[in-house]
Amino acid sequence: MDKTEILEKLTPIFRAIFGNNSLVLSDGLTANDVDNWDSLTHMLLITEIENSFTIKFKLKDLNKMRNVGDMVETIISKLQA
Amino acid sequence: MVKKIIINFLLVSATVFVLDFAIGRTLRYYYFLEDSGIHYRTAFSINNTTAEFLILGSSRATHHYVPDVFEERTGMSFYNTGRQGTGIFHQLAVLTAVLKRYKPEVIILDYAGDFRLGDNTYARLSSLLPYYREHEELRWIVEQKSPWEKIKLLSEIYPFSSQVQQIILGNLKFNKIREQDDRGYVSLHSRWEADIDSVDNLPKFGLDSLKIEAFTKLIRMAKEAGAKVFIIRSPIFCKTTWNDDVEICIRQSKAQGVPFWDFSQDTLFLNHSYLFKDPGHLNHEGALIFSGIISDSIAPYLKR
Amino acid sequence: MVFTSFNFLIFFPILAVLYWITPSRFKWITLLAASYFFYINIKPVYAFLLAGVTLTTWLFTVLIAKTGNEQHKKLYLTINIILVLLPLFFFKYFGTFNNEVFTLMQAWNVRWPLPEMTLLLPIGISFYTFMAIGYTVDVYNEDIDVEKNPGILALFVSFFPLILSGPIERAGNMLPQFRKPPAFDYDLFVKGLKLALWGYFMKLVVAERLGMYVNAVYGNVEYHNGSSLLLASLIYPFQVYADLGGYSLIAIGVANVLGIKVIPNFNRPFFAGSMSEFWRRWHMSLISWLTDYVYTPLSFSFRRYKIWGIVLALMITFMISGIWHGAALTFVVWGLMQGVFLSTEALTNKRRSAFEVKYRLNRKTWYLIFTMVVTYFLFSISQIFGRAENLDDAFLVFRRIFTDPGPLFLGPPATFINGSIALSLLMFKDFTDEFYPGRFLLFENPGKVVRTISYSLVIILILLIGILDSGQFIYFQF
Repeated sequence: MDKTEILEKLTPIFRAIFGNNSLVLSDGLTANDVDNWDSLTHMLLITEIENSFTIKFKLKDLNKMRNVGDMVETIISKLQA
Repeated sequence: MVKKIIINFLLVSATVFVLDFAIGRTLRYYYFLEDSGIHYRTAFSINNTTAEFLILGSSRATHHYVPDVFEERTGMSFYNTGRQGTGIFHQLAVLTAVLKRYKPEVIILDYAGDFRLGDNTYARLSSLLPYYREHEELRWIVEQKSPWEKIKLLSEIYPFSSQVQQIILGNLKFNKIREQDDRGYVSLHSRWEADIDSVDNLPKFGLDSLKIEAFTKLIRMAKEAGAKVFIIRSPIFCKTTWNDDVEICIRQSKAQGVPFWDFSQDTLFLNHSYLFKDPGHLNHEGALIFSGIISDSIAPYLKR
Repeated sequence: MVFTSFNFLIFFPILAVLYWITPSRFKWITLLAASYFFYINIKPVYAFLLAGVTLTTWLFTVLIAKTGNEQHKKLYLTINIILVLLPLFFFKYFGTFNNEVFTLMQAWNVRWPLPEMTLLLPIGISFYTFMAIGYTVDVYNEDIDVEKNPGILALFVSFFPLILSGPIERAGNMLPQFRKPPAFDYDLFVKGLKLALWGYFMKLVVAERLGMYVNAVYGNVEYHNGSSLLLASLIYPFQVYADLGGYSLIAIGVANVLGIKVIPNFNRPFFAGSMSEFWRRWHMSLISWLTDYVYTPLSFSFRRYKIWGIVLALMITFMISGIWHGAALTFVVWGLMQGVFLSTEALTNKRRSAFEVKYRLNRKTWYLIFTMVVTYFLFSISQIFGRAENLDDAFLVFRRIFTDPGPLFLGPPATFINGSIALSLLMFKDFTDEFYPGRFLLFENPGKVVRTISYSLVIILILLIGILDSGQFIYFQF
């Protein structure tokens, strides 16, 4: 799976969790840019991503995801592992 | 850069200095113009009273010693210098200032014997800050407040900090009714309804030797000035056992040959809540009875 | 030494000059010496505790960084966290725990002589303990490099502006500034002085004055009627804001004067429209610490349970927050209430958002005011548990508020007049900063005359109506 495919798969997850149907993902997008993206919804997001990609994050991975770009990188590395 | 900082610093300092001077001087002027209320009573005690019979103490003095009763039984002029929330250093200051002017004949120190270490006594010496400038004899007492009082007093506002409202009130006519006093005595007029408390295990406090020293100094000064001195612990509405403080009072007054009377556990008062306004203060009814007892007990000592 | 003591007003200018003339390489030594001097001035023996916490943290973080073995890393992490927490538990909680057990045993008629414990809490221990733990976890997570110089680490843990009451800083932000001190920055220097001045205003003029009223009422709950208790309960959140917020501003300002940048702690909390927003504006450094080191690991390990996992993590986190604030049942209830508020919001968030969007409520002023008032009331209610001496008192307060109205006790004129002036000024500033940024500027006014007069007036106000020492009191005759 490459970056665009991952972003395509992520978009509906993001839209559902943050309740925003016009949300467009980009590498630089951070929690500050999205309404409702706080520490509570973040964990729901993580769980959804884990389920739909069937991967498992580690706590350490979470700290490294500063924006959507980082998130995609982490997902790629998990998928390759 | 350093120059810029210094210039700005000087600019602000100059502005603060001018404002502080103008406001502080105004407050000082009106403070000493007050003719009722707590400031007025303290100023009168320190600067004006010439009463033969003086009461020293805190709020428990202010509300407990009724002038008419004492004047009638002793024939002496009377003033009650009690001030709420003050401790032994304030009392010592009042006596020091008084003795500089004249020698009273009878002095009662109403003292709860508070020698504990580390309470607000020193901070509350702010009651004396307005007198620092004119009264050289009180300066050492004011300086007990903190090592920095000399520097803080460079500010003209500082001695009157938080006193604006009281200064305004003290200059108003209606305050004479609001904070009415009779030769320093302020009567209280409601009754305490709740049940009596009892406190058995008084917490142990460290003893403050400076306070004990001030206490003995006060007695000594009063005696040396030729006054008859009485130490009195007035009634409280609370059953309690003696603590170290009282022991010290007893020991010190014995050593100096001065009567010490403890009315704090007198059943006449303990059994009658209607004589109290609250557990720490008698109401006027209680004060009349108490003043009667005290003046009767003192009479034999006063062979004029 | 505390910021509001006269000693500090003498100590700090001397230190600032010393600091700026110290060569860059040695600046950390000046700061470390000053920090220990500052701390020792309060209670000398506890400096050993501070040094001990620093030492174990240094030792174990160096070990964590050295070993490649994951198992060992985890072991070192665990040992250090336990070692660092031990003094906190001992001094803060042991006494309470002991007494509770004692009461329990008495209730069951068991007589066992437990030693009575009354320990003085080492000042700042709650703050520096959290900073040391945060650093250890950061090193473990490889978020930051380990600090090999124990002196710099000691400075991080003991840095005097922060040690008494935060903000709870992160090693990632502070260590680089200590290692390579930033050059003198005039703007930051001036900003620091302004923040500190406003902090002093908040603390001495607002917090202390409001506190006099709140203490007079809450100090004698049984003698006050519902009206006075209600007023005191509504004032108390403002008192805490002015107190901790003011103290934090002084801390941040003092650090800025030394060229060190520190994270903010409060962001006009009373304009929050929900509890979750409130907690992003109130005691921010603590909440962000708890989020990173307690809530995130917890909710991560509960993530299978979806939203209920988050609710559980929230409840536990705020329980810990409550117990951190004080070792008493009242604070447990306080923490649980925050957890319930936030969980309820999390569970209803989607429906609430949809409702707001549907009726375009977010643009309506009345709705915004309504949400702010509700948030403030919710927080005030929880703060009754934060302020009351014990649970009985707290329940008594509630009962009185609803059943026993009566004439309002206001205290002497100075208390309510100065209190109202002080609080209005603070809220006016927060209001304009929140809704009209760039207007009604005083400290930041482009005109030098306005600026100079503003600083001077605030200083005069502090002198005139501030509470400079405990010489002020309410003569409270029940």
